[in-house]
Amino acid sequence: MLLKLVPEDTHVGFMKYRFVAFILSVIMIIASIAALATRGLHLGVDFAGGTVIETTVPDGVSTQDIRDFVGTLDVADLNVTDAVGTGANPVQVFVIKFKTPESGEAAEAGQQAATDMVRAALTENFPTIEIRSSSTVGPKVSGELFSAGITALGVALVLMLAYIWFRFEWQFSVGAVAALTHDVIITMGMFAVTRLEFDLTTIAALLTIIGYSMNDTVVVFDRVREEMRKYKKMPLGEVIDLALNGTLSRTMLTSGTTLLALLAIFFLGGPVLRGMSSALIFGVVIGTYSSIFVASSILMTIGVAREKRSLEDVPGFQGTSS
Amino acid sequence: MLQFPAWKVILISLTLLTGTLMALPNAFSNAFLGIEPLRPEAPTAQQLADYNAEMAAAQDSWWPGMLPSGKVNLGLDLRGGVYLLMEIDEDDVVANRLNLMLSDVADTLYGQGVRDKVYGSGEVEGEQLIFTLNRNRMDETSMDKALDRIRDLNTPVDGALGGQRTYEVRQRGEAQIAIALTEAAKSSFVRDAQTDTLQTVRMRIDPEGVRDINPVPQGENRVILEVPGEPDPSRIKELLSQAGNLTFSMVDDTPSTIRDTLATGRAPVGWRLLSDAETGERMLVNNVAVVNGEDVATASQGFDPDDNSPAVNFRLTGVGQKRFSDVTQNNYGKRFAIVLDEQVMSAPRINEPIYGGQVQITGNFTMQEALDLAAIIEAGELPAKLNFMEERTVGPGLGADSIRAGTRASIIGLALVAVFMIATYGRLGFFAVLSLVANIVLILGALSGLGATLTLPGIAGIILTIGMAVDANVLVFERIREEKAAGRTPITSVQAGYERALSTILDANITTFIAAAVLYMLGSGPVKGFAVTLAIGIVTSVFTAFVVTRWITASWLRWARPKTLAI
Repeated sequence: MLLKLVPEDTHVGFMKYRFVAFILSVIMIIASIAALATRGLHLGVDFAGGTVIETTVPDGVSTQDIRDFVGTLDVADLNVTDAVGTGANPVQVFVIKFKTPESGEAAEAGQQAATDMVRAALTENFPTIEIRSSSTVGPKVSGELFSAGITALGVALVLMLAYIWFRFEWQFSVGAVAALTHDVIITMGMFAVTRLEFDLTTIAALLTIIGYSMNDTVVVFDRVREEMRKYKKMPLGEVIDLALNGTLSRTMLTSGTTLLALLAIFFLGGPVLRGMSSALIFGVVIGTYSSIFVASSILMTIGVAREKRSLEDVPGFQGTSS
Repeated sequence: MLQFPAWKVILISLTLLTGTLMALPNAFSNAFLGIEPLRPEAPTAQQLADYNAEMAAAQDSWWPGMLPSGKVNLGLDLRGGVYLLMEIDEDDVVANRLNLMLSDVADTLYGQGVRDKVYGSGEVEGEQLIFTLNRNRMDETSMDKALDRIRDLNTPVDGALGGQRTYEVRQRGEAQIAIALTEAAKSSFVRDAQTDTLQTVRMRIDPEGVRDINPVPQGENRVILEVPGEPDPSRIKELLSQAGNLTFSMVDDTPSTIRDTLATGRAPVGWRLLSDAETGERMLVNNVAVVNGEDVATASQGFDPDDNSPAVNFRLTGVGQKRFSDVTQNNYGKRFAIVLDEQVMSAPRINEPIYGGQVQITGNFTMQEALDLAAIIEAGELPAKLNFMEERTVGPGLGADSIRAGTRASIIGLALVAVFMIATYGRLGFFAVLSLVANIVLILGALSGLGATLTLPGIAGIILTIGMAVDANVLVFERIREEKAAGRTPITSVQAGYERALSTILDANITTFIAAAVLYMLGSGPVKGFAVTLAIGIVTSVFTAFVVTRWITASWLRWARPKTLAI
């Protein structure tokens, strides 16, 4: 007997619940914006600038020794944490973050000098220490990376809008992009609330979420368009419900396999991928919710002109359906 | 949809075969593939033994040369190494150009052999060169003569439209001329500096040319350098912080002159006070260089014959040799200084004319210092100062851990998805898993073949693709379920399922592809690696899910002719 995640023939009245979903989404968006405004994002060195050095803890040295020693060095905004790395073979690691005490123009070279100084001091004081990684990002580059990241999110949203407009009608594209914006804001809100580090890989995760959520929305919209042609007189709400029920099993299955893969990364992919995979997991859940409730509800609210159009007017229609 | 003519079958098989062959080398060790290892720079006995053993194994390899042997290029976050983003100091480029211009101006106004000399002196002030005529020795025509001659020096910018000039020359007040670079000239010089910097950086980091180091330009004035396997960024930065300006000049070490200079703080005209890097001795060095960095033919690390300590040997070019031997002939008994970046490396006395052009610098060098110094001298001078903007280093331990963690996550991810698909769709799910495996092989093959770089986020991209690649199959299978529920036969349900899902599959994947493309444009390093695997994964997954699974399913339907379809 084969597994049925979703019963074969469902008749869930999704559109009935759209006001509930609407209120839920608005609450989540307001909470996210409030969190972003008050707590702000916990920016990683990619975007905030500075240095992060990860070292091992050598035998016979306690993390307190390292902590005390690093405290004596001439750096600003020092932040040290010790953690047990996960992944294939867990080692105890020590993460040191700092900025240069210099400011203004001198900060650029100062940050590099501070990294060299701390690295040299660590290896001199603890000869057996292993520096597993270090990243130094100067103020100029960190600013550029941040604006490039935000620009990329904007460009991706605009391109999605254009593509859906080209393939469907503008009402669809408004619904799709509203859903994407909803996903991005709430995921960023999640980062503000949890204080997870927001860096370049997070932007990569957000773009992937945009792609994934779009993918989901397109599948639903494709079905809406198809049912609209099949049942010309049926009210839009019922058509959308029909399409959502028709694709429900697929939506759940694809989310399921994607989540399985992401959970594998989260638990086994090591600490470097932790932030990225948690963003993706959260994003897949939100993206699935938004393609069912947000994108379709907006389409429902705006409405689509139907009766006047004949099938052949719709771009991309020819020969794809029977 | 279920008909596969012979040419289609051949095409599909060829694609799968090519992908498999390209991916195959990743399963074997370098030695097995006949790839010879790189000789370590300053090896310990153990490293040397390892190197020899691996070399022997590589030479014994029977791997046929016609098969691909390229592996996936691992990013620095996986193999360890240093990433550096540097910016060429534009102010320094401008200052260097203006200083060159200053000596040209001096030559044309009052140089040797110039008739009707105009006297004066110049100074570089910020972005301008200010030349002040000597008021005591000028007359009414001096200013015009000077302006005319300086304008003759003002050549058009290389490659600029409309023959734009290099300098903007203005008279300032009665006795001053201000010379500034035009914007076109400035950006042209910065571009030149970028090209020269790429070359010099490569030669300094990889003097032997065996480590496959390729600095790449970024934007107009930046350079990205990646040094795989290097654990220490400080050393790389040190190598690139030195300007590398090498000169041989005559020395005046008369004690009274040096005393005077120290007392007044002013060196005699044409001389400057420098100190010896090793002994700290102060001496006056002539501003005229007998020989400079361009006259060095080769430089290498060698040993001091007296005490066998590491030293730097270099050989001058023909022209340099000639000049050097002339000067040593005429200056018997005097001293000359080898100056690198305003530090006297060595100041030997000329006991006899030196003809050979072989020079050795000794000092308390460690082996590494001597190697680095030789690399700096051979590579020559950097066109301008480099500012370090971003540096990322991953040690070998973390890289190895990341590969292990990534591989494990991929295998577990694949297994989970496989179990889930087979449990849900039975036989068709199994077909989908087969094509999923084909998909991973194709991604690896494409990465190896394209020479793309696999990073840790890239591995995450592959795992994510595993999860999402089944989507196309799921879309088709769900359609097949519906068709079956509508009472169609297995063959027509499968047929209709594929037909009706196609446009959805394409739409859905194109949107994800757009996101990956944007990510690629934004990305640097690891993130770019993620975008690449995601994009490749989308293309291969549409192929495997839509074409390969369909082919397997069609073959099975034809062969088994099932009455009912369990799905």
